[in-house]
Amino acid sequence: MSAPAPTSAPVRLARNPGPSWGYRFLRGCDRVLPEAIFRPLRGIGTAIAVAGMPEQRRHSRDYLALVLRRPPGWRDVWRHFFAFEEALMVKLRVINGRPHRTVYGPGTADFRTWLEGGGPVLLGTFHVGVSDLLGCQIGGYGLQQIYVVRQRVGNSHDIDKLAERFGGRLHFVWVNEPEEMLFALKEAAATTAAIAMQCDRIEFAARTEEFEFLGARRRFPFTIYHLALIFDRPVLLSVGLPDGPAGAVLHSSPRFDPRPGEKRSEGLQRARVHFQAFLRQLEELLFQQPNVWFNFTPLNPPAAAPAPSIE
Amino acid sequence: MSDPLSAHLKRLIVETLRLEDVKPEDIQDDMPLIGSGLSLDSIDAVELVLKFEKEFGIKIRSSEESRQALASVSSLAAFIRQHADPARLPV
Repeated sequence: MSAPAPTSAPVRLARNPGPSWGYRFLRGCDRVLPEAIFRPLRGIGTAIAVAGMPEQRRHSRDYLALVLRRPPGWRDVWRHFFAFEEALMVKLRVINGRPHRTVYGPGTADFRTWLEGGGPVLLGTFHVGVSDLLGCQIGGYGLQQIYVVRQRVGNSHDIDKLAERFGGRLHFVWVNEPEEMLFALKEAAATTAAIAMQCDRIEFAARTEEFEFLGARRRFPFTIYHLALIFDRPVLLSVGLPDGPAGAVLHSSPRFDPRPGEKRSEGLQRARVHFQAFLRQLEELLFQQPNVWFNFTPLNPPAAAPAPSIE
Repeated sequence: MSDPLSAHLKRLIVETLRLEDVKPEDIQDDMPLIGSGLSLDSIDAVELVLKFEKEFGIKIRSSEESRQALASVSSLAAFIRQHADPARLPV
């Protein structure tokens, strides 16, 4: 843990590089093809993706080498890509109307209490498993209005359709203009809605800090805790790991609460301990299920390294 | 003699952002607050905006408006004079 790093300049990312019709195509195939045929076809499609995406393949290898603790082979990389594809299929099937159940993992009492009782909260999540589906489901839970902070990309058919599926309780705040995002969050914070934001990629983070993760001190977004202290809102961190083809297990942190009258520096120090503890929890989950962190972009840079730039 | 509103704003900036190495009198009226000068970032800007909205009953609706208002203490004072209830201004 360390002092705040300077804000990194926004970089342009090549995100969701597949064709714009890809998601619709997969949804259509899923409606008409038996899974015994469709799944092997998806496997072949994934192999083509692995072969045709050298940058993503390289970043996958870099990440897998750390989490597998050995040099990954071609099959490992394919599994990583396929896990991403399967998580995408889960989302597309939910869009197509299939049920999806989420069960509470160990240590999720605070999350469950919040979900059942409602109230303003900042939800931090990661590009892990079906975590973004979890955020959308919270929006559809019937209790919560939820603002989801996301990067606007060209091919966001899945998120657009999930928003339709979960109705008017789900709102989006796009991070591509960080200053506008903060003002949008200011408006959201004036309501009792929950605000969900990703806490693993630093490209658009207003504030970052260094934490121990996967054998090095790495920079992570830390904006969520600053917002918590500014807006006087608690923080819950969570991820949704796949549990079979139509389910997920929720893993979450205890609740971080700003304390009235506490010095900002003390609040931030408690926040650092809170975030580091969840990163340790996430690390353990990733060692058990290495393929669920969809790290096809540069891994969070070690201390003193420049911010990543992907084109 | 210093403008009472500007002096009040400087105190608010230092107190709100807990600037340990900066005193109110160190902030020049025309010093840029964001980026160069005081080197405040977008999180600082949001925190200041929240404080000023509460203190003066004004509404800053976008980052562009905040950029203009927070360009310097002078521009901030002008913005607040233009939008706030005069009864809430220091005399």
